Amino acid sequence: MTGGYAPGRFVRLLAWATLLYLLLPITIILPVSLTDQRFLSLPAERLSLQHYASLIASPAWRGAIWQSFWIALASTALAVLAGTLCALGCWRLSRRSTEVVRALMLLPLIIPSIVYAIGLYRYFGRLDLLDRFLGVVLAHGVTGIPYVVITVSTALAAFDARLEQAARGMGASLSQTLRWVILPRIAPGILSGAIFAFIHSWDELVLVLFIASRQVFTLPRKIWDGINENLDPAMAAVAVLLIGLTLVLLLADLALRRARDG
Amino acid sequence: MSAAAHALALHRLGKRYGAVAAVDDVSLGVERGEFLTLLGPSGSGKTTILMMIAGFTEPSSGAVRLDGRDITGLPPERRDFGMVFQGYALFPHLTVAENIAFPLRVRGLGRAAREAKVRGALDLVQLAGLAERRPAQLSGGQQQRVALARALVFDPNLLLLDEPLSALDKKLRAELQEELRALHRRIGRTFVNVTHDQEEALSLSDKVAILNHGRLIQIGQPAALYERPATRFVAGFLGTSNFLAGAVMDVAEGGFTLALGATRLVQEGAPPGARALLSLRPEKIALLAPGERATNEVAGHIAGWLYLGAGYALQVATADCGEVRVTLPAWRAPIAPATGLPVRLGWPADAAVVVAEDADAP
Amino acid sequence: MRRDLGWWALLAPAFLLMTAFYLAPILQVLAISFTEPTPGLGNYERLLTNPAVQRVIGTTLRICLITTLISLALGYALAYVIALASPRARRWWLLGVLVPLWISVLVRAFAWVTLLRRQGLVNQGLQSLGAIEAPLALVWNETGIVIGMVHYMVPYAVLPILGAMREIDPRVLAAARGLGASRGTVFFRVFLPLSAPGLAAAAMLVFIVTLGFYITPAILGGGKTLMAAEWIKLQILDLVRWGLGAMLASVMVVTILVLLGIFSRVVNLRRLFGAGA
Repeated sequence: MTGGYAPGRFVRLLAWATLLYLLLPITIILPVSLTDQRFLSLPAERLSLQHYASLIASPAWRGAIWQSFWIALASTALAVLAGTLCALGCWRLSRRSTEVVRALMLLPLIIPSIVYAIGLYRYFGRLDLLDRFLGVVLAHGVTGIPYVVITVSTALAAFDARLEQAARGMGASLSQTLRWVILPRIAPGILSGAIFAFIHSWDELVLVLFIASRQVFTLPRKIWDGINENLDPAMAAVAVLLIGLTLVLLLADLALRRARDG
Repeated sequence: MSAAAHALALHRLGKRYGAVAAVDDVSLGVERGEFLTLLGPSGSGKTTILMMIAGFTEPSSGAVRLDGRDITGLPPERRDFGMVFQGYALFPHLTVAENIAFPLRVRGLGRAAREAKVRGALDLVQLAGLAERRPAQLSGGQQQRVALARALVFDPNLLLLDEPLSALDKKLRAELQEELRALHRRIGRTFVNVTHDQEEALSLSDKVAILNHGRLIQIGQPAALYERPATRFVAGFLGTSNFLAGAVMDVAEGGFTLALGATRLVQEGAPPGARALLSLRPEKIALLAPGERATNEVAGHIAGWLYLGAGYALQVATADCGEVRVTLPAWRAPIAPATGLPVRLGWPADAAVVVAEDADAP
Repeated sequence: MRRDLGWWALLAPAFLLMTAFYLAPILQVLAISFTEPTPGLGNYERLLTNPAVQRVIGTTLRICLITTLISLALGYALAYVIALASPRARRWWLLGVLVPLWISVLVRAFAWVTLLRRQGLVNQGLQSLGAIEAPLALVWNETGIVIGMVHYMVPYAVLPILGAMREIDPRVLAAARGLGASRGTVFFRVFLPLSAPGLAAAAMLVFIVTLGFYITPAILGGGKTLMAAEWIKLQILDLVRWGLGAMLASVMVVTILVLLGIFSRVVNLRRLFGAGA
């Protein structure tokens, strides 16, 4: 790119060290999870899947995984529906007031979740939504909206507005235009937003610490208790599964982008 | 005339964006089955007018009437107007056939009826073999025809064309101009076209409306506009023209004399006042042979010249008329052009036209 | 406009959800800070009088500043190498930066505990190499918090900086070399000033995000070093002092919004958040 303008040796070394620093902790977990010992360590004599086995055998872990999955699915549906419609409206109306609406939608990315968490703790108490599936889905759904708004807005920015005019001019109603012209074109953006909203809910802990306790017990909550109570290699196995799922979802997103750009 | 053709009228149509008038008090009529072109430079308001006819832009004032019925408030999807967009706006995720079937699908037509109509439309634009292709696999000219078929397949009240040929190269443009003209004759519907290309406007249209700065300057048949431009803008925008401004002298029956310095020009028609502006087309000026006489004679020398294949374009420097542009057929040209060569120009009293100065832009 | 009514209706679900279930709880926090335990500015008075509150704020600002500075330095080096890499190499570098960005905070904190604790892999490794005799205290203190937070923030720092660097016209650099500038001069007089907006954006982003950190300090700080978010949780869940917790939460939100407000005059925020692109 820069025609002979290359970084110096020190900068290059620093960059490699930083990359190692970024990747080391998330890769070291894999051998730790395969340890044959009963405590957190690298494998001493051989690789063992015992900690994965104990994980799968444990009803508590299985229950947490399922709860997290359903909550993530439901809150993603909520975020995708609301976020996509909102991005569409802002895109088409495109005026000062819709800029304000779009900025409002981005607030959850800016305001620390601890603030929202204590607010919800009090707010849901009165609505009887504490420790309820619906409560967590609402909280995760609302905070997932910004991811969808951003990806869909980006997809719409590349959408030719005349296609919408062409459809309307040929007699298509708003809902026909949405279903047959706009949605098929921005589907990759929506899916991409869905992936990020899903990861967001699947990993979310701060809100759950405040608004859920016994009935609703998600996977991050279970890991949190594990870290604070007993650090055992089963935790590493969970961590590997989580990293694996995130990687799969990110690769799916990457493939989507490829398909869209290519 | 086809019974399906409709008449359109714009009544005192205006569109303001804040303090700026994009379209200013435009009234005009399109007869049933007529091909009208809105012609003007960019920023003249022609596209805004088309968008108001289509219903995408809401007028600030005035009315759009179809067969006398006010449709100003009707949303675009209920106007039943076919439209060919600039750049075509074909749906990239649909095939050619699906694109053309789109307006039928939104009207709830059954599959069989849809297929029959799509086939008819494809035949109309001679694309029968390409039904299953996607727009990205078509050439520019083919895309243009698909857009045309899609706009016509649902028997629209009116066909609107927004710079339909601007994306094509020159040769293809000429070819499609002829096709579009033939198509219009064949189906006999009312067409409204927008372009900035004056050749396209002259060759396609029954009637041309010339716009500038949001105002309608002149409307009429192409030949009438070319031969009798009303203002300096029209004369300059349609083709090229020499402008000669002078003081009016000796008004007589059916004509007057114009003084430019020491030169006296005899001009047909009535003078507009104490001063007059003439528009004189370069192709109406003759080079006079030695001894040859003409009603108006001006001497000068060639300041520059271009060879254009079919002819020569000369720039002749004169004492009183400034630089005069003259075109000559190249074949058997009366002279071999050379810079500095003295020439005498001549033209009859009915060659030039009296035009008005344009009002300044708002 | 009547014609646009349908499009306005599309905004309704998100707008209602956001107002009822996001804005309302947050505004309530703001209200509580003024009304509990007694109406008035009592809670805010503590900012000036209560040493515990001041200590938390001091700790938070110190850790955030350190984290921001280190993240910027590492992020700039990384972005610099990525920007100058071949397109193929650039894709791999970017993958290495983006994957950690999306890995759960909790998993990463857990990984750091595994690596850094007394019997952790780092200490074991250093001891078996004979580099140290007694294990180092790398976690459950401020060092641990900074290691974990910088790890989280480096990708956030890289993206805006890289964005600014990618907009630098390589011909400008070539021109500078051609005019006789040394490599160092080109960097300090041309490249650095041109990438400065990205650096500023990254600084703002990293600082704002670190202010509200909860999980990483809670796990890697081991309860000894309290940052604002954990202190707020302590006030509300354990001590049930709503007013005080809500006060610090409000201060946090206002600080962030004010910083963003100042910042939006300098840098285009829409680019930072990708809206409308």
